Amino acid sequence: MGQLEAVTADSAIRVRELSYAYTGGPRVLDGLTFDIAAGESVALVGPNAAGKTTLFLCLGGVLPTPPGSVTVAGLDPSDPVQRRSLPTRVGIVFQNSDDQIFNATVFDDVAFGPLNLGLPAKDVRLRVKEGLARVGLSGAEERVPFHLSGGEKRRVALAGVLAMGTDVLLLDEPSMHLDPRGRREFIQLINGFNVTRIIASHDLELVLRTCQRALVLDAGKLVADGPTRTLLSDRALMEEHGLEVPHSLTPHGEGHRHH
Amino acid sequence: MTVAFSALPCPDSLLRRLDPRWKLAGLLLLTVTTACLRRPNSAAIALAVALTLAALGRLPPRWFFARLGAAALFLSPFVISLPFLLHRPGTDVALGLGTVPYGLGVALLLAMKSLAVVVLMLVILATAPLDATLKAAHSLWIPGLLVHLGLLTYRYLFVLSSELRRLRVALRVRGYRHRASLHGYRTVGHVAGTLLVRGVERAERVSQAMRCRGFDGRFRSLTSFQTRVLDVAAFLVLAATAAGLLLWDNWKP
Repeated sequence: MGQLEAVTADSAIRVRELSYAYTGGPRVLDGLTFDIAAGESVALVGPNAAGKTTLFLCLGGVLPTPPGSVTVAGLDPSDPVQRRSLPTRVGIVFQNSDDQIFNATVFDDVAFGPLNLGLPAKDVRLRVKEGLARVGLSGAEERVPFHLSGGEKRRVALAGVLAMGTDVLLLDEPSMHLDPRGRREFIQLINGFNVTRIIASHDLELVLRTCQRALVLDAGKLVADGPTRTLLSDRALMEEHGLEVPHSLTPHGEGHRHH
Repeated sequence: MTVAFSALPCPDSLLRRLDPRWKLAGLLLLTVTTACLRRPNSAAIALAVALTLAALGRLPPRWFFARLGAAALFLSPFVISLPFLLHRPGTDVALGLGTVPYGLGVALLLAMKSLAVVVLMLVILATAPLDATLKAAHSLWIPGLLVHLGLLTYRYLFVLSSELRRLRVALRVRGYRHRASLHGYRTVGHVAGTLLVRGVERAERVSQAMRCRGFDGRFRSLTSFQTRVLDVAAFLVLAATAAGLLLWDNWKP
């Protein structure tokens, strides 16, 4: 707990005793407490139905949270006034890009968020241009989203979030539907962003390459919090919570890599 | 399904170059007028006008006739059955070149009005990019929520059609071939139900994603339109045609 309190002062995300249950269902989140410092890159791992996406929706102010249980970038999502400012500070890239991209052109989709902020046309155009440039899609403004590849859709979704100027990025299964090249490029891309980020993923190799710290979630409870490499190489911990030690951390994997 | 959900064509044409707002206003006026016609001969003129507009819009023939054919197929049960179901002795309908029985007159009126409206809708859809048409609709005081609904419907038709395609493949690889049997109808019902449930779940996720990007129900756009003399002239021609149709429909010699 001492270490936890030490990072509280400059926490980008502060969660205290957060619990959540969907109407008529069991608890999906159960007494979560953790802090994430500004600029930190943290992995959220756990089996299916561990509560990873629900936690993201709580942090993004989409699902209601009790007052004081969540603070993101200094804002409390339970407060309606502060919740309205949340999209300018927190961005979520959803598991399925088709849920996020709905406009008729890439430009319109990336501009959707900045327009909702009521920015002048000149600023919106600039943000779209910068957002697309940051994800390597300059010149794709007039393309039709449903003609894009899975990797391109993911980049457009990311550009839409970056165009909001957020300083906290929540990525839900970012490597899903990506081919090896798309996945490799996406890892390089997110490693280049200087923002606080949480990456929820079953892709533990991706987690190893993008996050210094990991949180292990199981049945809504936080069961481990520590350096990614240490936690992910703990075979007992991984197997107990429906996970596996990544190939590159197994003796065979290490040996294979050196050859 | 690929026919229904293929992307909208937008060939270069006189109609394509018009300001979408003036064009949409003129075409909607003509559509409403057509829907109000009561005589088969004025409906025939409306259909001819609509087909002329489709030709002016240079709509791809294959794309155009596939949709028109689908509409005609949908109408056919009503049009074929009406002459047999509607009998009013002594109330023959004048067609200009002669008279036909009442039921046949009503069937012709229904067929021509419906096809004219479908053709006008296809002209609206295929002579400007959909986002431009929707933005034009918003600038003509169509509520933002309805415009968003149109945009989302268009987008998710593609998503749902690809889900349906995946479901059909999944059925086929498990040996399913559709037959008119209880099992066949039950399977179709399950597929429809699955699509609906997935649609609801997806709608929930889309709504969450939109709220995460500050959506508050209002429609915002950077598109700006510019009115030229040609746009106003085109609108006036369409409005005059609509007025002429109404006068012709109500004219009694």
